[in-house]
This record gives sequence, C-alpha cells and structure tokens, in this order.
Amino acid sequence: MIEKFSELAKDLDPAVFWEYRAVLIPGLLYNFYVFFLTVGVAVGLGLFVAILRLSHHGVLRAVGGLYAEVCRNTPEYIALIWIYYVPPLLIGLAIGRNISFSPLLAAVIALGLSSSGYFTETFRAGILAVPKGHVEAARALGMSRLATMQRIVLPQAIRHMLPEAMNQFVSLFKGTTLVSLIAIPDLMYEVSLVTMDTDRALPLYTGAALIYFVLILAMTTLVRKVTDRMRKSPRMTG
Amino acid sequence: MDLFWQSALWRHREAFWDGLVVTMQVTVIGYIGAILLGFALCMMSMYVRPLRWPSRFFIEFFRATPIYVQLLWVNYVWPKVIGWPNGFFEAGCTALAVQSAGYLAETFRAGIEGISRGQIEAAQAQGMSGPLIMRRIVLPQVVHTMAPSFMNQLLVVIKSSTLVSVIAVPDLMYQALRLTSIWFEPIEILSCTALIYLVIVSALSWAFKVYTDRIRAKYGLTRG
Repeated sequence: MIEKFSELAKDLDPAVFWEYRAVLIPGLLYNFYVFFLTVGVAVGLGLFVAILRLSHHGVLRAVGGLYAEVCRNTPEYIALIWIYYVPPLLIGLAIGRNISFSPLLAAVIALGLSSSGYFTETFRAGILAVPKGHVEAARALGMSRLATMQRIVLPQAIRHMLPEAMNQFVSLFKGTTLVSLIAIPDLMYEVSLVTMDTDRALPLYTGAALIYFVLILAMTTLVRKVTDRMRKSPRMTG
Repeated sequence: MDLFWQSALWRHREAFWDGLVVTMQVTVIGYIGAILLGFALCMMSMYVRPLRWPSRFFIEFFRATPIYVQLLWVNYVWPKVIGWPNGFFEAGCTALAVQSAGYLAETFRAGIEGISRGQIEAAQAQGMSGPLIMRRIVLPQVVHTMAPSFMNQLLVVIKSSTLVSVIAVPDLMYQALRLTSIWFEPIEILSCTALIYLVIVSALSWAFKVYTDRIRAKYGLTRG
C-alpha cells in the first residue's frame, strides 16, 4: 500500500508541468484569447436578440424566442463540429468554390452562438426590470427610442443583469476548453500532445484540472464578492 | 417522401439508433450517479463534522472544473490512482456523475436549509432519528422546490454526454463523427445529429416547463 503511494507520489511529480511551460502557458493564454473573442460575439448577439424579443412585432418576438431556444438546447460540442464543417460547405456550394473556416473562427462562432442564447434571457430580464415609468418619462421628454434605450434603459439594465452575466462569463470560460477538439492549441490540446510525447498522463491531466479549478474558483469567488457588494449598495434599490 | 428514404438519417438509421441508445444509457447512469453522489456529498458536508471540509472541497472542485477536463482526468488519471474506472463507458458515466454531483449537492443544501429549524426541532422532540427526519420531514418538502434545478441538471447531463465520444464511447455523437469520416456527408449527417439532440433537449425542456408551472400553481410557489 505504502509502496504504491510512494510510486504514485513519484509519478505525480509536478516538474513535468514546469518542464513544458513553453507550450502549456501559451495554451492557457489561447483559452483567454478565445474567451474574449467569444464574449464579444455572445454579448452583442445576446443584446440584439433580447431587443428583438421585446419588440412590438409578434413575428420578431417569435423569431427571437426560437433563436434563444435553439441556441440553448443544442449541445456545444455538436454546435462546434457543425459550424466547423457544414456552413463552409454550404457557402462553398452556393458560390461554387471550396472554402473552409479556420478552427478559431468556427470556435468563436459556435461558442458565441451557444452562449448568446443565455445572454438573450439575461438581457431581457435586465431590460424588463427597468420600471416602465422611466421609459415613458424619457419618451415624453422627446427622446428617441434609440436614445431611451442607450441612456435610460441599458445603464440600469446592465446593473441589474451583471451578477447573472458574470456567472455566464464563467461558464463560457469553461466552454472554451472544448476548442481543443477542433485542434485549437489551447491548454487541453497541449496537454494531450505532451501526454502523447511523454506518456505521463497522471501529472499532466491532474495539473490541468487543478489549473482550471484554481482559475475558475478565483473567478467565481470574485463574482460572488462583487455581487454581494452590489446587492448592499443603495444604488441597486432603484 | 422519397427524399426521406434516401436521406442519410434513414440509410444510417442503425448506427444512429445504436448511438442514441448509448447516449441514453450514459445519461441515465450518469444522472442517477450524480443524484446519489450529490446527496451523499451534501449530507457529509452538512452533518458529518470530520468530512465537512473534504466534501466541500470535492463539491467546489467538481463544480469549478470544465466537464471536458474532468472527463479526461477521470479517464486517464483515476485508473492509475484508484484502479477504476477500467473502461471508457464507465469513465464517461463517472465523469458526468461527478460533474453534476457538485451542482446537485448545492441544490440539496439550499433546499434543506430552506426548511425551518422549528420543524426539525419538533421532530427531534418527538424522538425521531436523523435519517428518519430527513426521510419523513425534510425531503418530502424540498422535492418540489428542488425539482426545477434537478430537471435543468438532466438537460446539462444530456448536453455534456456528447463529450463522451471523445474517449471512444460509441454514443450518438461518436456515430455521427464516424459516419462523417466514412461517407463524408457532413451536411446531412451532422445536421441530422444536431437536430436529434435539439429535439430531445427541447422536448424535455418544454415538458419540464409545463410541469414546473403546474407545481408552482399548485403549491403557490413564486420562485423555483
């Protein structure tokens, strides 16, 4: 028993992680790179569709609702693979030329679409939480719809939805680990490659899991702190 | 209708069906495992003093690691450390189970903490034992309030189950990738697969919504 443990401890040697830092650190940075690009797509699309869902037009509302459902109910992995293979072929057929998406483009589109479904709901709830009187007052003062949205509704809505949105950023970051499946050199991809090289799955996968654990735990703790402070702040009561 | 009989979905129906069955098996086993493990973790973190911090650590660890990382970790590391799981199918189920167990443990905790202290004290005063109080007083009341989180977690497990294909569990996703690489008809095959998942998840999510609304109306709950 003790023998087995000392063997394990020797095998768990974290030095291998340090040894391969030259590929592993850029891998982790790639996760952040994909994350930031995806956040842009997800938040932009989410806001756009949320406004569609709140429109006076029944058809636009239905389209927005359907979009959100489809995005939320499709598993991320199939979305990723589908976006990577299918749209380039369809576009290629349409214009009669062979094209392909780079893995990064496919990843950002797929993950962005996937989480924009959730952001739509968050934005919608945030906008609905702004008292109707504020909108009516702004309109009565002669502000245009766009100006009302920009100056009155969104600043308040964003404050309402921030706690929820931050949680979604965290799950989006978790989702970025999937990009290694279409050969984007993120941390998990590099870990798999190094494992093939060295046959040392134990320290490498454990190390990767711990790195993600520490990072994401730090993020969720930060989110909780900020959320608590916002709840206490008197500005939130308005 | 001719189109349907020539479609990829019909021609490869056996592979799709086999995959779907494996997906269902992985999902159901993983989900049941998650409920049991989540309940055990919750009980340990709340009532078993010496195990409080270890179980809290596991809950946080399971919740804060991405499912894909968890899956590879379970698949490659666990067999060397504890000699189990020794198959891809087992590893897939285990990874799904531990991932969701962390979330469900928190759901159980929130539900149990929602029960007023007075009820538990009353039960204790009647001489009921801890497990009996849990079974007769606490759980029957929290089942309804926890139902939405539980259903939501089932959808998460179904969606995450696509990833077990990465460790060669022959689920629906695996079959789709295999067929694509053999026949190279990604447009049809991948779209059909995406549609199958979409229909399953949407149907369940719709059914859960109907059920939750009904429970809310029946018990006068305003929040899930």
